[in-house]
Amino acid sequence: MLFTGEMYGVQLDQLAVLLGASLPRARAVAARWRRLGYAQSARLGPGPAWTWLTRAGLTACGLRYAATPPALSRLAHIRAVTEVRFALEATSDYRRAGAFWSGERRLRARMGGRAGVREHLPDGEIHWPDGAPVPWAGECWAVEAELTRKTVARTAAIMRELLSRTGDYGCPAADVAVPGRPPRHARALYVCSAAARPTVTRAREALGPLGARIEIRDLPPSAAFGHATPARPGTTGTTGAAMTSEASGGIMASRAAGTARGGTALSAGLATAGGLGTGHGSWPPA
Amino acid sequence: MIRSYLAFLALRAVARMLGRLLKVAALAAAVAAAAPVTLVAAYSAALAWLLGWPPRRLYGAALASLPMTATWLVAEALSRPGPPGVPAGPAWFRVADAPYHSWLAAWLLAASGHVGEAAVTIAPAAIPLGLAAGGLAWAYRIYSMETGAGGLSPSSPIVFDQRQWRRQVRTARARIAAPGSVPLTTPNGDVVTGATIRTVRHAATPAAAIPYARLRSHQVVIGTTGTGKTTLLLRLWAGFMATALSRYAAGAGRRPLLVVLDCKGGADSRRIADRTRRVLRGAGARATAIWPDEASLSLWDLPPGQLTTTLCDLVEHGTGSAAYYADVLEAIVSLAVGAPCGPPACSADFLTRLDAGWLTTAYSAGGHEDALATIRSASHLVADVALRFRTLWRRLGTGFDPPGGFADADVWYCILEGTAETAVAEAQARALVDMLASYVSGAGADTETLLAVDEFSAVSRRLPIWQLYERARSLGLAVQVSAQSWQGLAADEDERYRIAATADGGIWLLRTPHPDPVVALAGSRKYVDSTRRLLAAPLWADEGTSRVRHTPVVDPEIIRGLGVGQAAYVYRGGVTYVQVKRLVAAPPALAPPRPAGLAGADRAGQEATDGAGGPAAGGTAPSPAGHAGPLPDAGALLDEAFGKEPSGSGGETR
Repeated sequence: MLFTGEMYGVQLDQLAVLLGASLPRARAVAARWRRLGYAQSARLGPGPAWTWLTRAGLTACGLRYAATPPALSRLAHIRAVTEVRFALEATSDYRRAGAFWSGERRLRARMGGRAGVREHLPDGEIHWPDGAPVPWAGECWAVEAELTRKTVARTAAIMRELLSRTGDYGCPAADVAVPGRPPRHARALYVCSAAARPTVTRAREALGPLGARIEIRDLPPSAAFGHATPARPGTTGTTGAAMTSEASGGIMASRAAGTARGGTALSAGLATAGGLGTGHGSWPPA
Repeated sequence: MIRSYLAFLALRAVARMLGRLLKVAALAAAVAAAAPVTLVAAYSAALAWLLGWPPRRLYGAALASLPMTATWLVAEALSRPGPPGVPAGPAWFRVADAPYHSWLAAWLLAASGHVGEAAVTIAPAAIPLGLAAGGLAWAYRIYSMETGAGGLSPSSPIVFDQRQWRRQVRTARARIAAPGSVPLTTPNGDVVTGATIRTVRHAATPAAAIPYARLRSHQVVIGTTGTGKTTLLLRLWAGFMATALSRYAAGAGRRPLLVVLDCKGGADSRRIADRTRRVLRGAGARATAIWPDEASLSLWDLPPGQLTTTLCDLVEHGTGSAAYYADVLEAIVSLAVGAPCGPPACSADFLTRLDAGWLTTAYSAGGHEDALATIRSASHLVADVALRFRTLWRRLGTGFDPPGGFADADVWYCILEGTAETAVAEAQARALVDMLASYVSGAGADTETLLAVDEFSAVSRRLPIWQLYERARSLGLAVQVSAQSWQGLAADEDERYRIAATADGGIWLLRTPHPDPVVALAGSRKYVDSTRRLLAAPLWADEGTSRVRHTPVVDPEIIRGLGVGQAAYVYRGGVTYVQVKRLVAAPPALAPPRPAGLAGADRAGQEATDGAGGPAAGGTAPSPAGHAGPLPDAGALLDEAFGKEPSGSGGETR
């Protein structure tokens, strides 16, 4: 539920991947949340139905967000960001480092309604804890999922803003970009659709030396709007399997392999890995 | 006969008296009958008099209350039944009848002691009528005082005007003190400078706002020290930045760039620079660079031809027989800059090149016989040229050395020591203007640039300010010239008039003892002096004469007596007196411990935010501040997450 709340909402196939369960099982879980008044479901666009948290659900998770269904105009984007998060959280380095994801919804809530047209929020941030067994420990990455083409100038301006920001989101205006302070985002990761990639690449080149801190990758095929992972009857507990074996490749690897191992301690498993954590390594089961 | 004539006179006098009494009685009866309207009119006119409001404000209030009246009329037409047994009649008739019925009902209620209910019953009709009547009465009063026809004594109009000014100032001060009443910008992008005190030939709105386009034109600001000039300038700059950034974010405009040349220098300039940084951060400017204290602007990024010209202009050289040395200097500098190995990268590199041996070696590769001949003929003077430039760079410091460019910040606050070191400041001003011109005509062509110069006349010996004006005009820059006095605008009267007359965006006058040139430029308006007698409100007697006279639009006495934070905005033959709202800057950010090995605060910031100075090539990313080396490669993680990138696709960190 916390994942669903953080990401605005998830589609049923994504919920199945998240739970490591089959589609019918995910549907049953969503129905249970609905019965408890914690969530609502509806078919908002192409592909499987969407599930999002109600006010009661957000309160149960301790999230102080406005309870609204995912905006229709942003469905494709929300799905893409969720898939990017899945892909990153499934990596061995991510789990080993105990990294954590901070989504746009959390950043926006931290802004407290002060996010104006002049301030760009990334789609997510990845925080790599200090002392983690990865070379980039201590860094904070900005993550952007790009589906559509903006202008090169606009994209470059966003990149520059992300890389030059020094303050936290919601900090006083005087701290947003303080010369002399280290930047908030050590690098920015752009995960692009095929259509957006040329623009993003050109924008990075336009940045000059600053562009060296931009990473560009392709969106996974499952990020396509309307794409639904075919449910495999009897599939369960892939995440639990990922937790038991670091080398298994986590969520995405299990998803690709379609392994059907036992294990249902999804939340506990993710908490151990820090995959969906709040940044403190703890994860209350939803 | 005489008796009859006297009787006729007496009868006529009595008839006149009776007529007047009848008129007064009729008027009193009308006023009493329309008591609700009279009360509202009297109250609104008294309020306008007390607060110094213009009549237009009462008319606006009357218009604003019309929806209430319309709603009330519709409700009356739908709900009011006719007398028992009589059909209600058509709706239009009930609407037309409603005011009369309300008036009647109000009197009946008042007579029976229900004054509150009577007021509520008649309010929808009485409020708009009363406000309009109050506005008319107040306008008539102002007109009669302005034309000298009103008041008890001949000096009444003067006293009336002074008293109204004081009340208008009090109202404007109350407005700017109210939280949220004076925003920085309006929803349509106009820049709000404060609360309106009084207007002449300008629209009288409570908040004094100027369209953004005026900030994209040339403006002049004149005001002595301590009159609130910096507060006004900060407000204008913040408004420019906020509106321009909004337009840029909406795709309706280009990215803004504000360059301030503070030509006074000293501790006061640094204090203002810090305040500017904090205020503009609140307006959306992400980075404010203070030159040369915290950031540098690389002169060496200029194109070679422009670099040669600028370098030659930095060094003073005379005319007449001294022109020979100027030519030699230009030739040597041109050789040093245009060497086959490329232009110099920094001042040290340039100084190294000012050596006959170096130049000979650089041009000895073949095909440069002309250059070698020049070097041979000027070799005995190369050392002198080097000496002059070495002296110049020692005085200029490192402000013109790389890295740094106008693209690195939204705001550049350049401090020139025009008071303490005039010669150095003149050279700096010349170079900065050249660099800005080069930037906006090249890489910065997609920016909306505002160049604000304060006391530029202190450093304008080598670059006359009118040249700056003309140059800025041709480059599409907006220039805002500010000075402490009319004389401080430029070196001579001709230049001053040229600057003030071409200020398309308007002239801001704060308290100054010599406002007369600007007052003359602002123009005059027509007034009528009349000896005709006012018989009644719209009627004037036939006897007497009238004469048109011209009075200045801007009252120089008001300008000389303006208080702190008060300004007059002169634009197109009109003036708006403004109580400027001070922008409260965010508190200074507490800087964390400075990373070892980094020179200046902003230099570190530039390195941090731009990655400049790090190794850009070779597959390693420059490190942000706080990292000892290049960024570690995260390719393996990303390959695992998103699949391997095809080679050459640029997926890796460059």
